[in-house]
Amino acid sequence: MNQFFLHHGVSKELEAFGHIHEMGIRKNTSIQLNSLCPTTTDDIRIYYILDGKFEWFINGRDHILFPGDLAVILPGQPFAGSRGFVDIGTLCWICIGVKQVDSRKMVLGDWSGLSESDSITISKVLHLNNIAVLSKVKEAFGILQAIKDELCQQEIGYGTRVNHLIDDLLIFIARQSSHQTNLRRDFPETFTKLEEALRQNLSHQWTVEEMAALIGLGTTAFSEKVKNYTGFSPLNYLINIRISEAIKLLKKQEINVTEIALETGFYSSQHFSTTFKKLTGYTPVEFRKKK
Amino acid sequence: MECVITVELGTNAVRIFAFDLNGNVVASAKGSYPTFHVQPDHSEQDPEQIFITMLYVLKNLITEKLQPQKYAVQSICFIASMHSLLTIDKQGAPIGNAITWADNRGKREAQELKDSDLGKALYHATGTPLHPMSPLVKIAWLKNNDKERFTQASKFLSIKSYILQQLTGEYVIDFSLASATGLLNIHTVQWEADALAFAGIRPAQLPELMSVFGVPGKLRKEYQKLLGLRANTKVMVGSSDGCMATLGAGAWREDKATVTIEDSGAVRVVGRQVLHDDRQRFFNYLLAEDYYISGGPTNNGGVVFEWFAKQFGDFSAPFDTEQIMENLIHEAAHVRPGSDGLLFLPYLLGERAPIWNANARGSYFGLNIKHERQHFIRATIEGILYEVYSIGKILQEHRTIKSLSVNGSFATIPFCAQLMADIFNKPVNMVTNSNSASRGAFLLSAIDMGLYPNFEEAAGSTAYRETLQPREHDHATYGQYFQVFERLSVKLKEEFEVIAELQRVRR
Repeated sequence: MNQFFLHHGVSKELEAFGHIHEMGIRKNTSIQLNSLCPTTTDDIRIYYILDGKFEWFINGRDHILFPGDLAVILPGQPFAGSRGFVDIGTLCWICIGVKQVDSRKMVLGDWSGLSESDSITISKVLHLNNIAVLSKVKEAFGILQAIKDELCQQEIGYGTRVNHLIDDLLIFIARQSSHQTNLRRDFPETFTKLEEALRQNLSHQWTVEEMAALIGLGTTAFSEKVKNYTGFSPLNYLINIRISEAIKLLKKQEINVTEIALETGFYSSQHFSTTFKKLTGYTPVEFRKKK
Repeated sequence: MECVITVELGTNAVRIFAFDLNGNVVASAKGSYPTFHVQPDHSEQDPEQIFITMLYVLKNLITEKLQPQKYAVQSICFIASMHSLLTIDKQGAPIGNAITWADNRGKREAQELKDSDLGKALYHATGTPLHPMSPLVKIAWLKNNDKERFTQASKFLSIKSYILQQLTGEYVIDFSLASATGLLNIHTVQWEADALAFAGIRPAQLPELMSVFGVPGKLRKEYQKLLGLRANTKVMVGSSDGCMATLGAGAWREDKATVTIEDSGAVRVVGRQVLHDDRQRFFNYLLAEDYYISGGPTNNGGVVFEWFAKQFGDFSAPFDTEQIMENLIHEAAHVRPGSDGLLFLPYLLGERAPIWNANARGSYFGLNIKHERQHFIRATIEGILYEVYSIGKILQEHRTIKSLSVNGSFATIPFCAQLMADIFNKPVNMVTNSNSASRGAFLLSAIDMGLYPNFEEAAGSTAYRETLQPREHDHATYGQYFQVFERLSVKLKEEFEVIAELQRVRR
């Protein structure tokens, strides 16, 4: 594919797409010092390697990329060439702006057709897996090529198609990142990672879909595996963790029951008390007095 | 109808069974809990999560399975993994997580103690090998490395002691589990003063000792109500999983040995006398006042085969390790005994008995150009079982073993059980009930209720589904390869040290 470079504010092709900051293919034939110094950006950057070998430092880790590999740099993550410059080779990239970013949550914008919960799940998966490089993902380049063709040919419906394709690309990356992180071999190990994620964010109202997505399984297969492995449904397992953490907090006298309820992910102190009593035979207040 | 419940607090999960008074399983359920490895060598579990998981599973089992069938619960008997340690503060709240048997943080403390005269004396007095697994060593580690936790600790408990306290209000431990702490004198059945002095603790900081038939107290009212149990439901302190697996496998005679292989494994014998070994290779745990369970543990059981399956199995469906392992076994069966000279040392996790070398590492040996993938599969299984045999072999210096009983998920795979028959050259009994530890706990309850007069008769009630006979010709083959295996595991000692050190510094 030939080299090209589209840049929002300059290229006419991008006029209707405020969220596509840049897109291009570039063949780098010589090394220019300081051509890739440390930066952090506020958009999602996706690079696909077509030729050559690139050494990059992404979000605190060194990576070597070969043709067929794809790098994803999320808003706020530091990014640089390992030696400060762009290596020799060919790459294709796209930079996508996001509407809002806070820790672990990106809001894409009205152009995206992703439902709110899908969009949250995708950003969670990308942040939690913390996998900057996907290897051997030719399909991603197919999507990139299709985006470029739509942008340049501007046939009927191209505006919708371009945005759909960007959603496709993000879904593809999130799925691959789950599969790759978990290798789909070791369920106990994968489950341990999920468990860590749950504990780190216990006050969040986790859904089964979100949990399954982190592991890279569909919800039915996920629920079945969890039931088999732990003896509990995913949500009941989550309640075990919530109650265990709540018990620990109850044993420390300084924090009040409502705070404990919210911190451990219950909707209200009423919801907490009912669940706690059902499981332990005590209300939280009675439990606190027990020796 | 009456039934007996057994609660097994295992390494990864709690398994609860209900037996009718004839020993048939009428209901069962499990619930798993995680192990945390916050640092290399650390292995911890959350006592509150274990408790809540146990309670939840127990409640569901009773309300969903036992009450609809109109079973009345006579007693609940508790068994648990050995060697766990939990510290609690003055208010009874846990300080930090429980430290499991697999935790190796006390390596240095263990080695220093093992080489000292005090160590030798303690080994003979307590029956527990001086190893990081031992709570004695763990407490010493806390004393040296975590002063704050050590000084805040009002008691040093096992996980089971904590669970029983939650249920009944009393801090107790049975002789059997206590004898695996390195703190109990197995001859006098009292806490060993020299061990406590070394650990830096007072007897009042330990739970109250009682027989395996002991009753810590009544179930708290709230739990009676929650679980729908009568006030007179007996709570029995029970024993350790290892001792109960031996009882449940029916190997209650001096000429029988029990081989248990789950993730890790052990070979055990029962007797009225302890096994003396100046090289400190065996454990001697107390079951009842005049019975000892002796033997040796291995780190590298089914966990090694699972490792192999994950690395080299053919995964078409995600996360289907069980199917993969079955396929591998099928392939292994196509290779001749002895894997045409390919040997495997299974020490991926270091090793306990008989070499007791934390730095030991795995190795394939004897590769030639004709070996294929399937040779590796068979060699891996054979290597795991040679290691088990090497424990059995030193036990036979003390006992004449005429037959084996096998239990545990790996040992009961028919291919593996037949291999053991051939390698040991002894008949192998396959028990009907695959969960021997829980069956052991049922037998304990049954003896307590007067259904059996003694341990011998209780153990004798165990039915075997099949007895596998050794194949002479194969035994001869394995015997020749085993000699090489045995020599290698000793000869490589220096290289194990070097490679383990390199793996440490280059991590």
